[in-house]
This record gives sequence, C-alpha cells and structure tokens, in this order.
Amino acid sequence: MSDMGLPASVEAIRRVREDPHRLGYRAHGAGEDVEGTGHGTSGPATKRIIVGYGFWIFLLSDIVMFSCFFAAFAVQRGATAGGPSIAQIVDVRRVAFETAALLLSSYTCMLSFAATNKRNLLWTQIFLFVTGLLGLIFVLLELQEFIELAGKGITPQRSGMLTSFFGLVGLHGLHVTLGGVWLATMMAQIQIKGFRREIVHRLICFNLFWHALDIVWIGIFTIVYLMGSGA
Amino acid sequence: MSDIKFDPEHPSGTLDHREDHAPGDEPLEDSGYWVYNANLGLGFSIVLTAAAFFLAGSHIIYGPSIPVALIVLAIAQMGVHLVFFLHITTGPDNTNNVLALAFGVLVVFLIGAGSIWIMDHLNQNMMPMEQMMQMQR
Amino acid sequence: MFGKLDWSAIPISQPIPLITSLVVILVVLGVLGLVTAKGWWPYLWREWITTVDHKRIGIMYCLLGVVMLIRGFADAIMMRTQQALAVGGAQGYLPPEHYNQIFSAHGTIMIFFGAMPLVIGFMNFLVPLQLGVRDVAFPTFNSVSFWLTASGALLVNVSLFLGEFARTGWLPYPPLSEAAYSPGVGVDYYLWAVQISGVGTLVTGINFVTTVLKVRCPGMSYLRMPMFTWTAFASSLIIVAVFPILTATLAMLTLDRYVGWHFFTNTAGGNPMMFMNLIWAWGHPEVYILVLPAFGIFSEIFSTFSGKPLFGYRSMVAATLFICIVSMMVWLHHFFTMGAGPAVNTFFGIASSVIAVGTGVKIYNWIFTMYGGRVRLAVPMLWSMGFIFTFIIGGLTGVLLAVPPADFLVHNSMFLVAHFHNVIVGGVVFALFAGLEFWFPKAFGFRLHEGWGKAAFWLAFFGFWVTFAPLYIVGLMGMTRRLQHVIVPAWAPWLYISAVGVAILALGVISQVVQLVVSIRDREKLRDVTGDPWDGRSLEWATPSPPPFFNYAVLPNVAGEEPYWGIKLRAVETQQLAPEPQYEPIEMPVNSPVGFYTAFFASVFGFAMIWYIWWLAILALVAAYAGFAWFAWRDVHEFEVPVEEVAQADRARRAAREAALARLSEQGALP
Repeated sequence: MSDMGLPASVEAIRRVREDPHRLGYRAHGAGEDVEGTGHGTSGPATKRIIVGYGFWIFLLSDIVMFSCFFAAFAVQRGATAGGPSIAQIVDVRRVAFETAALLLSSYTCMLSFAATNKRNLLWTQIFLFVTGLLGLIFVLLELQEFIELAGKGITPQRSGMLTSFFGLVGLHGLHVTLGGVWLATMMAQIQIKGFRREIVHRLICFNLFWHALDIVWIGIFTIVYLMGSGA
Repeated sequence: MSDIKFDPEHPSGTLDHREDHAPGDEPLEDSGYWVYNANLGLGFSIVLTAAAFFLAGSHIIYGPSIPVALIVLAIAQMGVHLVFFLHITTGPDNTNNVLALAFGVLVVFLIGAGSIWIMDHLNQNMMPMEQMMQMQR
Repeated sequence: MFGKLDWSAIPISQPIPLITSLVVILVVLGVLGLVTAKGWWPYLWREWITTVDHKRIGIMYCLLGVVMLIRGFADAIMMRTQQALAVGGAQGYLPPEHYNQIFSAHGTIMIFFGAMPLVIGFMNFLVPLQLGVRDVAFPTFNSVSFWLTASGALLVNVSLFLGEFARTGWLPYPPLSEAAYSPGVGVDYYLWAVQISGVGTLVTGINFVTTVLKVRCPGMSYLRMPMFTWTAFASSLIIVAVFPILTATLAMLTLDRYVGWHFFTNTAGGNPMMFMNLIWAWGHPEVYILVLPAFGIFSEIFSTFSGKPLFGYRSMVAATLFICIVSMMVWLHHFFTMGAGPAVNTFFGIASSVIAVGTGVKIYNWIFTMYGGRVRLAVPMLWSMGFIFTFIIGGLTGVLLAVPPADFLVHNSMFLVAHFHNVIVGGVVFALFAGLEFWFPKAFGFRLHEGWGKAAFWLAFFGFWVTFAPLYIVGLMGMTRRLQHVIVPAWAPWLYISAVGVAILALGVISQVVQLVVSIRDREKLRDVTGDPWDGRSLEWATPSPPPFFNYAVLPNVAGEEPYWGIKLRAVETQQLAPEPQYEPIEMPVNSPVGFYTAFFASVFGFAMIWYIWWLAILALVAAYAGFAWFAWRDVHEFEVPVEEVAQADRARRAAREAALARLSEQGALP
C-alpha cells in the first residue's frame, strides 16, 4: 500500500500527472527521508563511521584469508607422512595459558577504550600497556612451543600436517605480533598528540582488530588444539 | 568526504539509533556501559572456554559428540565476543555492520565447507599413498 | 651480497627478450630524459604522482592498463604466429622454454595488469562522480592501491631483462611450480608481482565498498544509484571476498618454495590438488570482478544512446547481486576432470548453468532498453552491439562447458581458450573500449575522432572473430592448449586463418592509437564545451569536462532515478537553470607521497626476495614501515578551498550551460 492509503494504480496516475519528471517524488519507499540507517539519504557519513566501517570490511577480508589456512589444515590434518600426528604435538596446558592471556588482553583492550571515551590519558595508556603485555606473553608462549617442537625435529618441513599447523598458528601469531607493533605506535601517538579525532578513529580500528584476533583464536584453539588432542 | 557543514562527529545532531554507527562504536554511551559489557563478555567467555577445555579431555558426554560440542561452544563464544566486545547488535544503527558480517560469514562458509567437501571427494577417489608407493616399486 | 643475481641473469643468448629489453629501456630512458629536459618533474610530482584525486588515479590506472594490454597483445601475436609456423616438422622461431614464458606472461599481464587496472580505473573515475560526492572514502589509500599495482607491473617487466618469467601458465599449478621442478626465479617473479598488486586491489575493494555504502550525496538512496555504480559495488564486494584467497594461496606456494614447506608438494603429505581448489575459488570470482563493471558500462551506454531509461532497473540490480553471490559457488567447473566424482561435479555444473540466468536477465533488459527508443549508432553503441552478439555466443559455449560430461572432452583444449577469450574480449575488452570512447570527453575535455573510432571497432570485431572462431574448430578437433608446435597437419589451415585474424586485430590496435593522436591534434575542433556531449542521464554529465578537482561546488540533492536527466528536463521546460546555489568553502584531502613511497619499497622488497638478497629485503621492509609511521604522524589531512574559487568554477560551468540552452532556444528546439 502507498503512503496515502490509495490503490497503487491511482497513486501511479497521480504521480505521473503531478510530477512527470520525477523530480520531487521518491521512486519508492517512505514518504519522508529517513536519516542514516539503510536508506542513506542524508549525505556522506562522518569520518568516524567511514573509517570504522572500512576497517570492519578489511577485518572480514582478513578472516577470509584465515579461513583458507583453516581449510588447508582441515584437508591436511591427517597428512603426517610417517611423522607425528596432531595429537602428539599439542600441549593443552600451554594453550590454556595462551587462551587466558589473549582473552584477558581483549578485556583490558575494552577497558582502555572505555577510558578513551572519557578522555582519560593515564588509564588509557595503562590498559593499553597491559593489553600489549598480555599479547606479548601470548606470543612468547607460542614461540616457546615452536622452539620446543623444533628441538624435537618437529618442523613444518617434516609433513603436510605440520606445514598447515605451523602455517595457521603462525599466521595468527604474526597478526598478534604486528598488532603489538601497532599498539606500541598508538601508545606513542596518544602520548604525543593526545586524543585527536583521527587518533580516536585509529583506536576504534585497533579495538576491532584485537577482538577479531581473539575470535580467530577461539577457532584455532577449538579446531586445532582441542579437537586435535582428543580426536 | 563530508562537506564542511557536516560536523565530523555529529552530522545530523542525533547520535541515537537513527544514525549509523561504526562497528564497535557507541558514541553516546558512558564508560559504565563499556565496563559493564566488558565484564559480562569476560564472564561468559571464561565459562565457555573453561567448558571447552574441560570437555575436551573428559568422558562426560558421548565420545564422538565431543567435537560437535566443542564447535557449538566455539560459535557461542564467538557470538559473545561479537555482542559484548564488538557491539554488533541488530538495531537499525548497525544494519550495515551486520550485513557485512553476514556476507563475511557466507564467504567463509562457502570456502571452508566447499573446500572440505571438494577435497574430501578428491581424496576418496585417489588411490591411498601406500598403495601408490607400492606400485612404484 | 647480491643473492642469486649475477651477470648470467641478462638474457644475452636469447635475441627476442634481449632486443625487446633494449628497446623498452631506451624508450623509458627517453621518456624520463624528455620529462627532465622540459622541467616537468615538479608538475608531475605535485599533480600526478602524489595525487589523491580519484579522477587522476583513474586515468593513471587506465594508462597503465592500456600500455600493458599492448604488451600482452604482443605476446599474443607471437603465440599465434608460432603456432602457424611450427606445423609438422617445422619448429617455428620460439623454443619451448621461451614459448612457455610467453603464454604465461600473456595471461598474467592481460588479467592482472591489463584488464584489472582498466576496470579499476573506470571505477575510480566514475563512482564518486556518479554518487555526487567529492572523492572516495579513503583517498590516500587509493593512491597506495594504484602504486602497488604499478609496482607489480614493474616487476613483471623487469623479468624481461633480468632473469626469466614463470613457465607455468597464468596460474602456477604445483608440482611444476614448486622449487623442485621450477628452481629458477621465474615463478618467484610471478608470485611477488601478483602478491604485491593483489594487496593494492584488495585495498581498492575495501575503498569502494565503503564509498558506495557510506559516501553518497544527499537523497541518493540505494535504488537511485546509476547502474555502473551498482556493478562497481558488486565487483568490489567480490574483490573483498576473494582476494584474500589469492593472497593466502600464493603465500602458501611462496612458503613451499622458499622454506621447503609442504602445502602443495607431491611428497611428505603436500596436496597439489588443494592449490587448484583454492586458486580457482579466487579465479572464478575474479572474472566476474572484471565483467560486472563491464556490464555496468553497457547499461549506461544502452540507456544513453537509446534515449530511454534502462529497462527493468530493479531487475538489473537483482541480477547483479545474484551474479555477485553465485559467482562464489561455481569454481569447481575449472577442474571437473580432477576427479571429485558425480555428486560434486553435478552441484557445480548446475550452479554454473544457473549463473547464466542472471546474465540472461541483463541481456534481455539491454535489448528491451533499445526497443522503442531512438537509437544513435555512435561508436560506443557500436561496441555495445558488437558485445551483445559476441558475448551471447561466448556465454553459450560457457554453458556447454558447464556440463561435466561435455567438459571432459574439451577441458584445456582450444575450445576452452576460444570460449574464455570470447567472453573476456567480447565482454570486458569491448566494454573498456566503449567506455573509453564514452567517457574520454569527460576526463579530458574533448571527444575522440569518430571515423577512426568506427574503423577501430570494425577491425577489432572482425579481427576477433577471424582469430577465435577457428580456435573453436581446432578445439573440437582435439587440439590442446599451450602447444609450442602443431603435430596434426589437419589443424594447420585453421591456425593460418587465426594468424590472419591477429593481423586484423593489430590493425585495430593501430587504429585506436591513430584515433588518439588525431583527436589530440584536432582537440579544439572536438572540444566538449558543455560537459554533456552525449545527452547523458547520470550525474557525471552535470559536471564540466574535465570536472574541477572538487567535482561538485555544491553536493547535489537527489530525488529520483537518473537525477541529471530530471534536472535537464526541468531546465528545458522552464528554459533556465535552477537558481545559483549558496557557495561555501570546501575541504579536500591533501596530496601525499606515501603511495609512491610504499610502492617503491614494495618493488625493492619484491626484487630482493626474488633474487634472495635478504639484507635488501629487510631494509626495504623497515623503510616501508618507517614511511607509513611517518605518514601516520602528519597533522594536516585536509586543506580548504576558498569560496571564491568554488564560485568561479561553478559560474563558468553555469555560463556554458546557459549558452547551450540559449543556442537550443534560438534553434527553436525548445517547446
């Protein structure tokens, strides 16, 4: 039904008679302009939204890239080429610590964003520092795992399964490391420049990134470690 | 590029649900809201993670169903992260964000499930490696 | 010190690459010398190299694409002539190791550095103009994207005189592409060139998805966007969805080659078939990335030159989104013969046939757009009609290939080669030439010479069919693709005809170049005074030719589909323009060298990795990061355009339009 409750055919004739060039009449939809959401007729969005949304799209593309490595692992999980199987290399205890570290770092990251919204420099930096520290603990634990395995001759060059294991876990660890470098840069920027508009935009992006890394880790510890250890 | 008459932070003067929000951003909320969400998110995540770790090594439920249970727990925890940490809601201010997420999930599903389905069938039709090596002797 | 690089990398014993390299180097040095002598560097640096203006970046993309298209075409000429000459016992003039590099380079260059830059160039130039805004969502990232693509093109061309290119085809299938079987630098050139430019393309995809969803002028709801913008959006969605797959898969192959991992090796648990699966999960959507904007170009041209709105706009939008989603569900049809079995093959066979429904809807809509309209056979319309005929046949052969049992007979034969050239040339290349002809006046301010344009079209159209129709026939006769010599004499006559066809195509290419030269010479006669030379319907035709760098003095307020058409009709009826708007200062992004800088170090990094020069690679990475951090530290992102400048540009535009209106009124053309 149309805006005025008349049948569509009557509406159509009225429309053609009154506004033949369709200059003042919307092609379809509600009678009044709806702001922002969905219909998007209020003009270009603000920079805050543009930056945040663009980064969200980038994150989704990054998750697609991770899914390729997940698929490779799923395909090659049994390709041990006479070497160790996945159950023989996973250390659930260490993974529990890694998971705790990353989860807590997500929590402190959120708290730092809360402090940012209050424009509280001290607490923002403190929570960001703790986030970085927990991320560092995560990466060090992972490095320890890799070095221990390498010491036993369990390297990615040994078999297809090990290649895709190190590939997937290593890609995630690389992301956490790069996130840490980004974090350090952000902390320096906030300290020197304060809470300028574009700095806050970048903090929004960093938050999205860090939480997304934790989401990917949920997938990794479930599929690679927990399912690998038992199944 | 927004025109100069649009204030960079407040284009229409309204920051309520009628205006789009960047993902994870709730400009009107105060820090109490953030801390509350963070605590809830952490709490739920700890429960789900502990459950997953506990379930993996135990015999509480039927063995072959453990991988399924782990996947369910993982998806639930991803949901907790999305809602409490990333603030992805179904409000009208988040429509674009949810649609983008849905598109991403679709693509991940197509590649992941598609690849596993295809590769598994290819492997089914392939001679096992041991037999192939024997034939080469 | 220099890794694997030494003097033996220069192809002294191979005359063709050697002479080509010398000529290319001389031409490049000549151009650089000319620019230096004329003192053009400050202008080039300020206005083109560091620009973040989407129109200039679009033009640079198109220029890159056209130059690389010519290089790819040169490879094609060599392939056709080799196959015509090397019949029976004759060996032709290209040894197999060289021929293999040529067909690999041909495909790689045409897709990654010819078609993609051209399509993205069009998207860059048009989308902000059609959306009624001033630039894309991330203008500086736009510059980064372009320069990264150029970096990849540079690496591919360096392989001509330093080392070799890949011999593995345009998609480097393992195990042949693994280190054990391709130990040289060829595959590494391919990997780093495509990987670097792939990052650029992904950033473009993100940029345009964000632009179309979040940066539109007031009143521009989704269903008021022009059709080209819709297809650019769908194409960008596919880019965002699938380029990460390319990145991941090439990274896996790179790890296999460099550090001996086992993703795709044929020993130790690697799975070569997994490469085919992943790379085609990217590869099939890739061709839709190319063809959807091509369809968008045709939608604009059909409606403009029929004088009617596009028939079935909403079904076009639906068909576009349908194709966008289904394109990610069909990729297995590229390897039906790899043995997935009947269930899997059937699913993908049916999906591949179903996707033709979307294209069919579009073709019917274009035909119905012409019906009842007043069709003007200008050059863009000629290309469009040539497309309809050519693409329908190409699409039909595609549906034939979508049937697995039929595909088992013609997989990787010349029938396949003829099919995909049929749809890519008929679809994408024809669209690009049509679009170049259509939007050239908007970009440069003068039209292209019509006579030479028509000659170029007819030569291209006949050249295409004479080249590729015989290839369908030899394909059905059993000839496989990528043959360096021809062992079955019965195939020879068809290959001779095909070689003649390539000569006709070459004449077409020459006509295009002559057209450009003649048009530049006669540009005052061909000047586009009003900014609307074709009686256009969408917002880009409301701007002057070329548009000012800020596009619109005041963002338009859109109330219906085809907003510019409505504005024109009202102006004609009231015999005057709308009243002068209230001008205000405008904020525009500042130029930035970060794109050029990043790409420079990406090229150095790629080159260093190819030749195993580890210290240089690390240095380049550090320098690239330093540059990025320095850029992130800048305080000034935008500058303000003063009101007087805005008003002056807009008043000039209004004066030209008023003069045109007055001319029409004098001629008694107005009601």
